[in-house]
Amino acid sequence: MIETDKLEILTAGAKYDVSCSSSGSRRKNFSGGLGNGAASGICHSFTPDGRCISLLKILMSNDCLFDCEYCPNRRSADVRRASLTPDEICELVINFYKRNYIEGLFLSSAVFDTPDKTMELLYETVLKLRKVYLFNGYIHLKGIPHADETLVMRAARLVDRMSYNIELPSESSLKLLAPQKTKQSLLLPMKNLKYAITYDKENKIRKNRALPAGQTTQMIIGASPETDGQILKLSEALYGNMNLRRVYYSSYVPVVQSSKLPATGAGLLREHRLYQADWLLRFYGFTVDEICPENQNLSSEYDPKCAWALRNMHLFPVEINRAPLEVLLRVPGIGAKSAYKITEARRFAPLNFEQLEKMRVVLKRAKYFITCKGKFYGTDNISQVKTALLTNGNGTEQLSLFSAPEISLFALSGNQ
Amino acid sequence: MKIFITDNTSKCFFTAVYYAFAEKNCLITSDSALQPTFDDEIKLVETDEEKVARVIKKINSYDNSAAESINLILKSGDARKEQTAFEFIKKLIEYKRPIGTAYNLTEVVLFNELIYKITGEIHRIKGLLRFTECADGTLYAPYSPDNDITENLMPHFSARLGGQKFIIHDLKRKKAGICNGAEWIIYFADQAEIKLSENQKIFETLWKKYYKTINIEFRPHEKQMKNSMPVRYWKFLPEKHDL
Ligand code: SF4
Repeated sequence: MIETDKLEILTAGAKYDVSCSSSGSRRKNFSGGLGNGAASGICHSFTPDGRCISLLKILMSNDCLFDCEYCPNRRSADVRRASLTPDEICELVINFYKRNYIEGLFLSSAVFDTPDKTMELLYETVLKLRKVYLFNGYIHLKGIPHADETLVMRAARLVDRMSYNIELPSESSLKLLAPQKTKQSLLLPMKNLKYAITYDKENKIRKNRALPAGQTTQMIIGASPETDGQILKLSEALYGNMNLRRVYYSSYVPVVQSSKLPATGAGLLREHRLYQADWLLRFYGFTVDEICPENQNLSSEYDPKCAWALRNMHLFPVEINRAPLEVLLRVPGIGAKSAYKITEARRFAPLNFEQLEKMRVVLKRAKYFITCKGKFYGTDNISQVKTALLTNGNGTEQLSLFSAPEISLFALSGNQ
Repeated sequence: MKIFITDNTSKCFFTAVYYAFAEKNCLITSDSALQPTFDDEIKLVETDEEKVARVIKKINSYDNSAAESINLILKSGDARKEQTAFEFIKKLIEYKRPIGTAYNLTEVVLFNELIYKITGEIHRIKGLLRFTECADGTLYAPYSPDNDITENLMPHFSARLGGQKFIIHDLKRKKAGICNGAEWIIYFADQAEIKLSENQKIFETLWKKYYKTINIEFRPHEKQMKNSMPVRYWKFLPEKHDL
């Protein structure tokens, strides 16, 4: 049985990985098996930092041969080391899953041997979990850079999602801070996995399909000098070229002292703004160029949609009873859910301001950008509009997007 | 005002709807705590299959998915559930077409809000339910939900847990869903005596340790945690009790 000390070390080593989502897979259970996938994802608990626990997020080992500057587990760090065997991991997953503590496993590891050997043991673990322990719940596996391609592909047919973390938003930062990782060692496997996923989809392969929940990646924000504009350009390219499901942003936390790293963390607000902008790219039809020029950062005062609207006042106000969905989505304060409600409800009768309120559409910001049956409830005084759109002070904005939008979006579309 | 009191079953509710249509001003409820006033007229409704069928047929003729939503809303823990459903049915019959997305109507907004609370709790409990392992391997999960959702949870867990025997026990309603590994039924169950398996304590301790370690201590966001996981559910969560 696994000791609590080991669990502690290997959990602490994995906890800054942001991704915890368990959505996107409909894996079915079979008789005698344990577990299935829930397409919408399920949160099993929430920690006092407000984050959701969905998966058992753990390292197989923290005993690393690599020396990434920002990582507490790097070779040159003086920390307690621990490793788990494939069976220990399987046992833990099965017993946590049975008790409904978790939705599945997020398995990652330090590179404790050659990349091939490390990947091999990760593969062995997920293979055992599926074939010996008959586990059908969700598995997210981190890919090891430089590892043998066929091993990676075999693992991809067993798990729901894989991620190669891009780590840093530019090649030069990667060279400086993660010398053993190269752009190629991260992007090539990503590309190969994308081909495998596309191939299976096009050929309607169901059995042992590669990565039904796709790929994600993560990068550290604020450990290196890239601007938000550069970061978002990179994300846009990753969504476009690699078909990633999500790009996660993790604001830099100075757990390690180093002359190559800033002494202070990036702060949650920057991370939050990036998630908001990312959201606009994926679901609201915005392009990076509209949201943030390449050499600039996002506004800290206004959320990206408000900032965009303030730069484009000539496009407003729009008439709530006529504006198409994609225009409604661009109104500050109107989210995907409200936009959907408006387009549905107005088929029954033209909507006025009071009805929008009754529908629980939040109008505090939106009222400056809309008319209802031709009537405008805002003001022409731009400085008044600006004050109303400010984020700080009134606490209307919640500083965490870890899981909430995913859920509300699911409610809207019914699937991923 | 005329008050129709039902026995909290959906058939009795649909029977009440039949009678209520003949009234100008009335209320349907199964709320036993209701305090009638002096000029209220109380009518205890008895299920009448024929009337049930007629009402459902009428509803289906305008929207064949509405009956399902109405059955769901009747599982609400809210005392206004019958009246909310009745107001919704009246609107449906007035509009003669599906009105589920007529968000401009107050009746629809209120109806959807109660539905949302129930489906929201079902989704939440799929994550927050906690099983303990008994000595014979049966998994036992006590809980105390706001809405009567045990029937709605059983298919999810029986698909997921494969051949496992398990019990989901609603302590508030003294009601238990029992699955023998293949099929499940609902029982009325007051109390359960359970003997824990040898491993139960070990994995519970590991889980608590995990919960404690995965938290990022210098980024507290207590409010967010409580919004997502309201305090009333903590009683059954081992991780919210000391290590
Ligand atoms: S590869 Fe780099 S980031 Fe990963 S554990 Fe090793 S040192 Fe840390």
